[in-house]
Amino acid sequence: MSKPTANWEKVGDKFYRKVPLYKEVFDLDLELENYKVVGAPYSGAVAIYRDEDKIHSYRGTQGAKSSIDIYSCAGSLIRRINWDKGSIKGLGWSEDEKLLVVTEDGTVRCYYDLQGDFTPFTLGHGAEDHGVLECRFWSSGFVALLGNNHLIAVNRYDEPRPKLLAIPPTEPVVSWSIIPPAYSLSRSVEVILAIGKTLFVIDATDAEDRDFTAGPFQHISVSPRGEFLAFYTEDGKVWVVSGDWTEKLSEYNSKAKTVPKDMQWCGSNAVALAWEDEVHLIGPRSVATKFYYDAWIHLLPDMDGIRLLTNDVCEYLQKVPDVTEEVFRLGSESPAAYLLEAAEQLEKKSPKADDLIQLIRPNLAEAVDTCVKAAGHEFNIHWQKQLLKAASFGKSVLDLYSSDDFVDMCETLRVLNAARFYEIGLPLSYDQYKRLTPEKLIERLINRHEYLLALRISDYLHLPTDKIYVHWASQKVRVSIEDEESICRLIVQKLHGKAGVSFEEIARAAYDEGRARLATELLNYEPRAGKQVPLLLGMKEDTIALDKAIESGDTDLIYHVLLHLRKKLPLASFFRTINSRPVATALVESSARYQDRELLKDLYYQDDRRLDGANLLIAESLNQTNTPARIDKLKLASKLLQDSRENAFAAKAIDDTAKLLRMQDTFEKDLGPGFVGLSINETIFNLVKAGHTKRAAKVQSEFKVPEHTFWWVRLRALVAARHWNELESLGQQRKSPIGWEPFFNEILGAGNTRVASGFIPKCTGLSVPERIEMWVKCGLVVKAGEEALKAKNRPALEELRAKASGTAIAEIERLIGMLPPVRK
Amino acid sequence: MAPHTTLSTSEIGEKARRDLLLLLEGVRGKKNLVLEKALAGPLNLLVKVSTLQEYGVDKLFFLENDNIDSSQRNVVFLVRGEKARTVMAVADQIKRLRRSSQIDHEFSIFWSPRRTMVSDQILEEAGVLGEVSISELALYFVPLADDLLSLELEDAFSDLYLSKDPTSIYLSAKALMLMQQKHGLFPRIIGKGDNAKRLADLLIRMRTEVTAGESSNTNGPSFLGLTPSSSIDTLIVIDREVDYPTVLLSQLTYEGLIDEFFGIQSNQTEVDSSIVGAASQQQPGQNSGSAATQSQTLKRKIAIDAKDTLYSTLGDSNFAIVGNLLNKVARRLQSSYESRQIANKTTAELRDFVAKLPGYQAEQASLKLHTSLAEEIIKRTRTDTFLRTLEVQQNIMSGADPSTQHATITELIDRGVALPTVLRLLCLESCTSAGMRAKDLETFKRAILHAYGHQHLLTLAALEKMGLLTARSGGLGGGLGGGAGAAKPGSVTNYTPLRRNLRVWDDEVNEAEPNDISYAFSGYAPLSVRLVQSVVQKQQLAGLVKPAGQQAAAAAQGWRLFEDAAKHIRGATFNETQSGEEKAVKARQMLNGSGHADSGKTVVVFFLGGICRAEVAAVRFVGRKLAEAGGKKLLICTTGIVKGDGVVGAAVETGRFGKGV
Repeated sequence: MSKPTANWEKVGDKFYRKVPLYKEVFDLDLELENYKVVGAPYSGAVAIYRDEDKIHSYRGTQGAKSSIDIYSCAGSLIRRINWDKGSIKGLGWSEDEKLLVVTEDGTVRCYYDLQGDFTPFTLGHGAEDHGVLECRFWSSGFVALLGNNHLIAVNRYDEPRPKLLAIPPTEPVVSWSIIPPAYSLSRSVEVILAIGKTLFVIDATDAEDRDFTAGPFQHISVSPRGEFLAFYTEDGKVWVVSGDWTEKLSEYNSKAKTVPKDMQWCGSNAVALAWEDEVHLIGPRSVATKFYYDAWIHLLPDMDGIRLLTNDVCEYLQKVPDVTEEVFRLGSESPAAYLLEAAEQLEKKSPKADDLIQLIRPNLAEAVDTCVKAAGHEFNIHWQKQLLKAASFGKSVLDLYSSDDFVDMCETLRVLNAARFYEIGLPLSYDQYKRLTPEKLIERLINRHEYLLALRISDYLHLPTDKIYVHWASQKVRVSIEDEESICRLIVQKLHGKAGVSFEEIARAAYDEGRARLATELLNYEPRAGKQVPLLLGMKEDTIALDKAIESGDTDLIYHVLLHLRKKLPLASFFRTINSRPVATALVESSARYQDRELLKDLYYQDDRRLDGANLLIAESLNQTNTPARIDKLKLASKLLQDSRENAFAAKAIDDTAKLLRMQDTFEKDLGPGFVGLSINETIFNLVKAGHTKRAAKVQSEFKVPEHTFWWVRLRALVAARHWNELESLGQQRKSPIGWEPFFNEILGAGNTRVASGFIPKCTGLSVPERIEMWVKCGLVVKAGEEALKAKNRPALEELRAKASGTAIAEIERLIGMLPPVRK
Repeated sequence: MAPHTTLSTSEIGEKARRDLLLLLEGVRGKKNLVLEKALAGPLNLLVKVSTLQEYGVDKLFFLENDNIDSSQRNVVFLVRGEKARTVMAVADQIKRLRRSSQIDHEFSIFWSPRRTMVSDQILEEAGVLGEVSISELALYFVPLADDLLSLELEDAFSDLYLSKDPTSIYLSAKALMLMQQKHGLFPRIIGKGDNAKRLADLLIRMRTEVTAGESSNTNGPSFLGLTPSSSIDTLIVIDREVDYPTVLLSQLTYEGLIDEFFGIQSNQTEVDSSIVGAASQQQPGQNSGSAATQSQTLKRKIAIDAKDTLYSTLGDSNFAIVGNLLNKVARRLQSSYESRQIANKTTAELRDFVAKLPGYQAEQASLKLHTSLAEEIIKRTRTDTFLRTLEVQQNIMSGADPSTQHATITELIDRGVALPTVLRLLCLESCTSAGMRAKDLETFKRAILHAYGHQHLLTLAALEKMGLLTARSGGLGGGLGGGAGAAKPGSVTNYTPLRRNLRVWDDEVNEAEPNDISYAFSGYAPLSVRLVQSVVQKQQLAGLVKPAGQQAAAAAQGWRLFEDAAKHIRGATFNETQSGEEKAVKARQMLNGSGHADSGKTVVVFFLGGICRAEVAAVRFVGRKLAEAGGKKLLICTTGIVKGDGVVGAAVETGRFGKGV
């Protein structure tokens, strides 16, 4: 076994390693130098297409056909997308392995599943006129540079909204790059353009000149997390500037005459320059190392390193992780290195093993941790095993050690090794895997149709498996040539009872494939009512869709179906459909009330809901602007309610309304405005207040207003108008249907104690103390005293004495004197 | 699979806040924010205006005012997408702005709480869908207090009971589902009322649907989280329909009365500054708890929340004792202030005193505020109408023959008191005695039409539709002898047995030192809260209802108090247990250690259709007792805070036959 340090290279005081991933990657006939090559993040698929700018030899009809080929990192062809849709100006990947293809006319095709299915959209903003020159991609979006230097950013692919960024100057762009939104200061995408000798930073609102003079810059590269920027100047120097532009960190002179074809960051601490077959790796403090190849080399940058691709090999260039360095570095005296050594000695059954263990005893736990971590970063299975063995040995010596990390690492390595296997071709590094998450890995496996491995991994890691099954079934539905019944049987047999399986998705796949009957059959197995609705609508199963929507309880869904039905069905059958479903009817009613009253009227008419219909007419009547129009509406309403006994009250009330309106109209003609719209009581109130007693009485008799109401209203009106005389004359009457107390209270409330006090003697129904209280409220203490005297109430009198003042005191004294003396 | 964390309301608020700010941040540069009025309250609870400004919000507009200007290129709408009307308003305004403005605007819409298909459809038809960027703000529960979460759906009541539109049930289910996804399944769902049943069914359905698929779409806690919760004990769902009377009655707690007289909107009330004085008198900076932003008008906005220490003691007290409490605080402040004044001893003490000064001043300010507020309330509660109304309410609730109250109600109508007041009384009678006698009802209807106008034919029809004001059914022929018993069981609430079984009326109410929830209404113990008690406080409630001695044995044998009582109340009754997969349950038990006591568990009480503030006080009272007894906590959740005027107000027709419509 070769030493793990064999492929290490020292750059300054740091080590870099070039891990050989796969050999014999591409067919040797493939002239990679004539192709553009882009790799998906997290060691994903590689897409290549022939670079149109380069001349290529004619190879008969086979070669002339243009295509985008998607390979795995190990060089197995996943998919060939035949291309005849124009000149490709941008090819890139998103984080979730969607392939984006941007053509010159601004059309973007988003291939979402590695299988050639795509969703298109256009950039707009003048892209079709000026043409797209180039595109730069980040994990979830991209920026396109147009012929007129305009920049268009797309931030997401599920609902793309191309946005025009601030307008930069129009001079030719030498090179450019972007800072992804997640890492820019403004939290939205920023573009760095090298124009002339200077640099411009462009975001959504501003185009800012950074005032550089050292340009023109031939290459710009932004480190994976945006913390550093690298520029390649025309005189062959590489500048590294901090991400906030405040500090120039280093400058490296490549002494190269030709401009490199590519410059990329390798992780966040080194920059790689690539010429045709030569790579310079520049570390911090401007030290560099050089690699030479015997074939054309492509750089595929990733979050923690760079994949190097030639026809023959696929290699991974990264900084050696600290833990790995600690264990393997020549002459390392770290505990972990000793532990590894000890484990090897143990295999040889050498007693040295124990000596070594004793040596590092105090740091053993740390050593075990380091070994476990280093195993994770190791690509070589032999060394993975060695490191884990060492860790295992170490922890057996320790008394107390939590093995969780160890177990997790074993699991992770099993998954990683499976994914790295050349038939799968996903050479994930440990960090990439952690960032990607197992769930996304499974998604990638599904997209590669590696169902079995995906299932195994899911089971192994206790992840949900439903998506795998659904994808498998959908694929089955698409490609299987068996008859529908057996497909359905097969799918149901495999999938029934599996948690979380969406039969709707499978059914949709079947429907899209034109197998409607299969789709209906599959849909029956879908447990989520809501999910079925859109497909059912698409399949024209309207009533079932409506029922399912109601079942789901989601009103949005119900509205959705209702809107659809309303457009599609004739009114009568629309009503027929909804009226056996109360929820649907209720929703139609409540939305129509604001938007479509005519619909509502028809609905009530069809269902013979007369009272509702009448109420609707009353509401309309309220909206009319003149009395005749209102009365017309009311007449219609009344007519609706005729000849039905249970609605007699409402019918009468409606007729009364019309009658009242007519009366009010005449009042307005005779007495001036201010009557229409009042209630009966208010009408009486206003009439009395204005002194039209007769008319008030007429209203009373016309509408059979009860006496007590009439008295109350009259009382309030008279008080409001301060008609004291009339109130007093009312007081002359023998009886009042509301008693006399309200008179007292209301008049007192209006502040007239004189008139109010006149009503006290009439309140015969009240008790003496209450009447005394009333007198006092009017300020007539003496009168109150007389009242008390009549009732021979000595305590009350004495209380009054305390309240009295001036002459009233003597008066009260006199009254007390008139009481029979208290017997002892 | 970490053990479920305990429920915390502030966390929910914090999350909503973060989500909102993140969305705002996503729109680059300055922007104008257009709000639906109904969302202004919740927004105000979540973020301060100054924070919004920090996030680039330049001006705020209300969608309803339709006055957005073109001062900023970015225009952000924050609206609810459930109603087609709102969506259309948004579409219209976008179109208007696009026509009238020279600038090429960037429109964003944040739908809350979710983006709907209908909204997409409408926007598409209006031709604006293509150029707005759309996001969702999953704003469901907003914390009004530590123990009170509200969806703040203003229309929930009228939607549910008048339009029979179940949107709010669905949204409630969604909100509760989120809670379940975070904290685990409610081990038991128990409740009363037809809509409550629908909610419970939805929850169960959603659970199967979540396990059936969405699990893998959400990369957060997957269905592994859907095992019975270890931090939540029970979910109790009470349908407002089950207990209308509680919201129809005059609330008698301090907070309740503030709501009745001044109205509280999302913890904020507006009071005429002639009553409480202008806010500028208070020192700025110290009153952030008690007085929030002040508008230029004569109204002054006052924040009503428990952060104000003085208010936290007052809010839930019966108003009868608020005066005493205020006095006590005043005396304490005075004495502590004076004692410090005299005892000007060492510099250290002085420094200590000065350090506390701002606290004193804030308390002083708050004291002053609440004293003047209380004085105004006293003035209003002493009016003849209020007293008469209260008298009728108390008589009806205590079981007096409602027909004896008719004279008073008639008089109130004759006197022309506000329509809602009268309607509340009539509805109260109708609800407590299973409908009014047809003849009486007709008389009152006529009286109302006469007094308030014939447009209220619509009002009355709406009230009938809501089941608030109905004729007694079950005996068209012998309407007189019918009584409450004649109706079909389950369709109406029969109060006669309830007064006995649940002691809905408490004659020995103690307002100063409450010993029962009846203190909140000075006698009436809210039926809804009694139902809650019958689930969580079986023993105590049994003790209240039955003479001592008997009940201990009865309760021990699992006396089915809830089921017994529920028989007499309208609407469906349900009691579901949710258990997870056996393996997962076991794993959970292993994790948490078996045989956990109930301590620290939360009982979630969900009031579908709204809750009134005095009712909140009553539930809190139960919660306190529970905490004292076993350490369980109560968390109140609701679709929104309601009050009687609002309840009947949902029905009241505002149009008139007058000329100026």
